[in-house]
Amino acid sequence: MTAVHPRRPARRYGPEEDPALAETEAILGALSRREPVAVTDEAVRLLSALIDDVDQRCSSVSITPSA
Amino acid sequence: MTTGPTGVGIMPNVTEGCVADAKSGVRLATRSDGASHGDDLRDLTSLAVQGDRTAIESLLTQLRPMVVRYCRARLGRVSGQYHIADDVAQEVCIAVLSALPRYRDMGRPFASFVFGIASHKVADALRSSVRSAVPTQDLPDGPDEGPGPEETVVRYIEAEHARRLLSRLPDNQRELLMLRVVSGLSAEETGNVLGMSPGAVRVAQHRALARLRAMAELESIA
Repeated sequence: MTAVHPRRPARRYGPEEDPALAETEAILGALSRREPVAVTDEAVRLLSALIDDVDQRCSSVSITPSA
Repeated sequence: MTTGPTGVGIMPNVTEGCVADAKSGVRLATRSDGASHGDDLRDLTSLAVQGDRTAIESLLTQLRPMVVRYCRARLGRVSGQYHIADDVAQEVCIAVLSALPRYRDMGRPFASFVFGIASHKVADALRSSVRSAVPTQDLPDGPDEGPGPEETVVRYIEAEHARRLLSRLPDNQRELLMLRVVSGLSAEETGNVLGMSPGAVRVAQHRALARLRAMAELESIA
């Protein structure tokens, strides 16, 4: 049972070595650590905007619910 | 949204939670010293479970910014403010405090316990339609050092756009990006919370980002 589907490409990379996965990890890791990241597309720019928005200082956060 | 008194009395030193503080780098476990930091957190959790006030405060100081960011990202603003999301984050912290005495280390990281509670609280809040009474901020005593109105509006619009796109992702992909990117967890920590290996997280986050890119591209064409 070692037959491989003829049209299925052989897997050249494990998850750790795949350059595409590594590139995504680098981008998302930088966003996660709040490090500067080169905005290469709209999705990354929007994620960055969301992070800026949720990270903004909120001095009125209190220890008790306001409602 | 009401909360019982349990836990409130032991929270004063984690008040005024400014999310920006999280940028200084408090993490559940870092890539460079993940194991030792993880062990530290486990020790801290163990002490907190035993009622050690200092440990409880330290634990909450570490967890709270991530919980606030998670709740803010999931719930968004109401009337331009994050009051509801911040209240839910506070409820999560109180629920964690209330549950601490009953918490038993079953081998899974404490973060998975915390974000499990956060996920349920957010779901409850999303189901709730009680969003009418929005408190207003006190008038500031001095000049506002924050971004100007134009920058605020642009940021708000873009953040809402991001939320809209994220809401169209499958639940598992959305949750993964929220934890990994917005809450600021590492791949390992995200995997711990979601029950995935770090390798599986890296594959899944790649697929999630690809899907997000495709949706953003489609919108820009339309």
